[in-house]
Amino acid sequence: MIADSITQEIIRGKLLATADEMGIVISRCSMSPVIYEVLDFACGVCDPKGQLIVQTNGITLFTGTFALQVQSIIRRFGDDISPGDVFMTNDPFDGGTHTCDIALIKPIFIDSKLESFAIAVAHWSEVGGAVAGSISPSATEIYQEGIRFPGIRVCRNDEVQPDIIELIRENTRLPTMCIGDFNAELAAVRIAETRVTEIFTKYGKETVRKTFNYILESSDKLSRQAIRDLPDGIYSAKDFIDGDGVSNDQFPVCVEVRIKGDEIAFDFTGSSPQRNGPINCAFGALSAAVKTVFKALVDPQGPSNEGWFRPITIICPEGTIFTAKKPAPTGWYYEGSAQASELVWRALAELAPDQLSAGSYMSLCAAYIFGKDPDTDEMFVHIEPAVGGWGAQSDSDGTGALIATTDGDTYNYSVELFEAKFPLRITEYSLNVNDGVGAGYWRGGFGAIREFEILINDAHTYCSFGRSIEKPWGLKGGKEGTNNYMEIIRSGILKRVSRISHQELSKGDKLRVVTGGGGGFGSPLERPISLVHEDFLNGYISNEVAKSDFGVVIDENGKVDDIETTRLREGQ
Amino acid sequence: MGRMAADIGGTFTDVVAFDEISGELITEKSLTTPKDLTDGVKDAINLAGITPQSITFFVHGGTTVINAITERKGVKTALVTTKGFRDILEIARGNRPDLYNLRFRKPTPFVPRKLRFEVSERIDSNGKIIEPLCMSDLDLVISQCKQEKIEAIAIVFLHSYSSPYHEEQCSKYIIEHLPDVAVTASHEITREWREYERANTAVLNAYVQPIVQDYFNALETSLNSKGFNCPMHAMQSNGGSTSFEWARSHPITLVESGPSAGVNGAALVGKLCEESNVIYLDIGGTTAKCSVIQGGKVTVTTDYKLEWSRLNPGYPVKIPVVDIVEIGTGGGSIAWFDKVGSLKVGPLSAGADPGPACYGMGGIEPTVTDAKLIAGVLDPNYFAGGRIKLDLNKAEQAMNKIAKGLGVDILSAAESIIRLADADMINALKLVSIQRGHDPRDFVLVVGGGGGAMHAATLGRELGVKEIIVPRYPGYFSAWGMLATEPRKDFVLTRLRQIDNISVNEIKEIFSDLEDSAKDYFSDDKDINIGDVKFETSIDLRYQGQEHWVGISVDYSRDSLDSIKKNFHIAHERAFTFSLKSTLIEIVNYHLIATAPVPRPSSNSIKGGFDESQSFKGKRKVSFGEDGVHECHVLDRECLNPGFTMEGPLLVEEKSATTIIHPKQILNVDSLGYLHIS
Repeated sequence: MIADSITQEIIRGKLLATADEMGIVISRCSMSPVIYEVLDFACGVCDPKGQLIVQTNGITLFTGTFALQVQSIIRRFGDDISPGDVFMTNDPFDGGTHTCDIALIKPIFIDSKLESFAIAVAHWSEVGGAVAGSISPSATEIYQEGIRFPGIRVCRNDEVQPDIIELIRENTRLPTMCIGDFNAELAAVRIAETRVTEIFTKYGKETVRKTFNYILESSDKLSRQAIRDLPDGIYSAKDFIDGDGVSNDQFPVCVEVRIKGDEIAFDFTGSSPQRNGPINCAFGALSAAVKTVFKALVDPQGPSNEGWFRPITIICPEGTIFTAKKPAPTGWYYEGSAQASELVWRALAELAPDQLSAGSYMSLCAAYIFGKDPDTDEMFVHIEPAVGGWGAQSDSDGTGALIATTDGDTYNYSVELFEAKFPLRITEYSLNVNDGVGAGYWRGGFGAIREFEILINDAHTYCSFGRSIEKPWGLKGGKEGTNNYMEIIRSGILKRVSRISHQELSKGDKLRVVTGGGGGFGSPLERPISLVHEDFLNGYISNEVAKSDFGVVIDENGKVDDIETTRLREGQ
Repeated sequence: MGRMAADIGGTFTDVVAFDEISGELITEKSLTTPKDLTDGVKDAINLAGITPQSITFFVHGGTTVINAITERKGVKTALVTTKGFRDILEIARGNRPDLYNLRFRKPTPFVPRKLRFEVSERIDSNGKIIEPLCMSDLDLVISQCKQEKIEAIAIVFLHSYSSPYHEEQCSKYIIEHLPDVAVTASHEITREWREYERANTAVLNAYVQPIVQDYFNALETSLNSKGFNCPMHAMQSNGGSTSFEWARSHPITLVESGPSAGVNGAALVGKLCEESNVIYLDIGGTTAKCSVIQGGKVTVTTDYKLEWSRLNPGYPVKIPVVDIVEIGTGGGSIAWFDKVGSLKVGPLSAGADPGPACYGMGGIEPTVTDAKLIAGVLDPNYFAGGRIKLDLNKAEQAMNKIAKGLGVDILSAAESIIRLADADMINALKLVSIQRGHDPRDFVLVVGGGGGAMHAATLGRELGVKEIIVPRYPGYFSAWGMLATEPRKDFVLTRLRQIDNISVNEIKEIFSDLEDSAKDYFSDDKDINIGDVKFETSIDLRYQGQEHWVGISVDYSRDSLDSIKKNFHIAHERAFTFSLKSTLIEIVNYHLIATAPVPRPSSNSIKGGFDESQSFKGKRKVSFGEDGVHECHVLDRECLNPGFTMEGPLLVEEKSATTIIHPKQILNVDSLGYLHIS
């Protein structure tokens, strides 16, 4: 006799393998670097009510977003859902994120009964709208952010509706890429249907249904256990969003986290009203932001499903920067949702130093470069998130040149691949040691500098960098980190920017994407002298910084002056 | 005599030799002798009664390279790179695979920042020089390396896959000025693009090179002094072997020699059984590894990453390595309950010390091996041929906590563990087969390693393979695979071109250049006749805009661009369910595999002539999982006649393994003594 729970574990393993396989299919088939290098996609399997059962993520932005999207399809189509259907949605106001994130949803029927949904979502490089790449930093309405598919049927009887393909082709600037990505997602949900059907056939409907429930229940239990381990209380944090794309003002945001027993509430009341610029999030994105940090807190490695998030309540009145209403633009929503994650992180960091580090560079610092390649006469669009410095940890320095929280297993673009593909050259890719990091017993990780040289006459850029005024926060006496910015060097004139909607570029101009260093942890004057010296020898810090930030005096031979150091450290 | 292979592991040195006159395979084990590793080899051959002079070809396998890396025991290494890019090694790819871990740490680079030097130079993606190599920068680097007492230097310049000119120039100059320093220029190891991956590869090669050079020098001298005068080869990671000479300067290519030997052995088993499609499974103490052989060919990729896991980006090494999926489930894997009481198996393992509870060496945690003992699959008195007595009581004591946790009896608890372990292995097997577009019904499952045989029948049935094959001596399978190896060198060259802008003639020229390099490579080996060298050619293609490619084999003397395109569409459709007929196609990489055929040991027929009383050892009560508990026959593998056939439930025992055959499965013994289960 085999215990039921063993069969359920085995089925869980097969479902996870299914989600993984979907992910492999998408990243291998996709035409967009933002999908195959950045891994800006997620795949999952839901139960017939839309509850997430298994999910594989390349990035954290889609943490737990699937349920809202599948439920929007159930609401819209009700009984009119048949085997062989596939639905498509990218509506931020119906569980989505921004128009570029296109979800394909396939109902899975066993013996003509709806038993499950497969869903894949991926960031397409282009969906039309005001600018190439569809994310205009100065958009004031969602209509400028490309075509919206409000939950439409794209396949019937497993046949793709040709009209839909034509609609995509005629409304996007890079139709081949878009249709390629559509195919990649379609292949993923089809594979899921095959695998889920195999599982139902092998183990029987009752057993698989019970397993869905078991998966949700067991995560719910773990989650509550972890919350109970945290002291009851109210924890809060405040921050500012540096500009919304249209205005460069700072907008206040805040959270109050209330822990009681095995439940936790996140209340964002008091955060800025929704903005004219595209920094807004809709509720789906806010909830993913909260779930990301919550997951880090309770069980970072456990596979994601709806069960984990049952003890969570998210409170935020409608119409704020985190709960924007139609037709607010949401193109750069991930800059807003990163701030929501950071708020929760900051509020809880002191409580859970073993799970959370000090503040990081936070913003994806995405820069777009586009133009026409004179060799092929074709348009190109380069989008790349930048790596930056992370905050120090309770027992180690922060990690340098690492992708922001909102992304995940996201790769930077290889310089060699990049130069073979675009009429641009990368002239430097280094750690940003000039601006430094937050000092501390443990120091923050370093940001990065990526310098591009433009090799053609017709090129353009736009970007949206956060944390350009506010700095990454330190923890337990650690110092603040440093800011993110872009430098444009055009005809010998240097201009520093953070969110711009358009800048013309021509041959010989340079762009420098500069990201900040993370915040420190603990007092820098207590940092072991040997570590400060090692940082100096490695060229991470100058002798001036060693002295001013860490109280360590290094002589002209590069040796530590013990007497001066003791005097300086004791004096402070 | 004839060929001999020595697999020098951490604990044991396995020696396998093939006697060409009698046709017999000789196997022996001795303890590894860390002071002079050849002592262990010598011990083993003494035990086996072989004289060194009778060996005509020697193949070496061992863990020197991988140990030096994982234990961080390499030499003080510097990196010389293009100005503006010295931090590439530390920035790496910037990814966080452990995405919800907000205290993520990157793998530490093998060269610290102060030893990463920049020089002015620049070549573009087409191989054109944008800025010449600055010699005065180089002089400065050389003096710093002297001051720092650097022992090895890796050189990595951007786009050296396209033109290695500056790397060559730089390497020559450094060798002139620092003759005692080991120098690795990245293009000597790989001609593929991606600067971080190439840098890491070159750095790791440099890091271990002086150590491995000393090792092979000592090994060769010692073997010579002991009377070995035959050609000596080292097992590489690509399923082939190379000369000691090449291994000394390209040590990183040896990093996965053990697993690659096993896969190579599986390919030979397939060949002997006339099965060209093989799924290979090796179950050891802490992990299980699997790999696919298609059309008789071992799958080799250059996407290998050291110390990689789902949560750790690891260290990419762009060398040809047999494509292996490894999971943390093996015979020693421990069963445990997670926080909510779900039963899990592995990845924690009892290893060899203390080992499973039933070894009686102090282990108290229940393992897969304990479960197999309780299920009756293992005979407590005939484990490792009776050398290790298994303690059933200890196994049951350990299993008790699982039984209690599940609320079942001890046998059910053991069955649960076996099922979970099997499920993990099935997922890994599916990953290498179904998820890569292969249909298991076209494949046979070949098992190796100590644990493979007792899981094979269950796994093969669920996977739906046409047959399961248990070769002879599964416990020596890796060393046997080395014995069967051929000298081999893989060449991979990145040259991005749209297929419509290239002619078959140009493809042919690229391959002839690679063939010339291959001939050059083999010309140093006096035991190889260049005329015998065989070539296999393939190219990696993708739809324009895609990043990942699909490889197809090409025959440039017969293929046309149209046939290449057609084959690519088919291959893409098979792998990813669709093709894009109207999308432009790009060629990314050219692959050439060059092998030098050497006489391989033919496997000889078993003698047979046993009568039934010898074949049947007795009867035992065994749990066959879903198929229930049966009182079944136990057969002695050493005494089975060719042509023997019988329906399960059955057990077949030999010294190094136990094979199970489920009810309704049929066992056939072929003339080579291989067990076939279908």
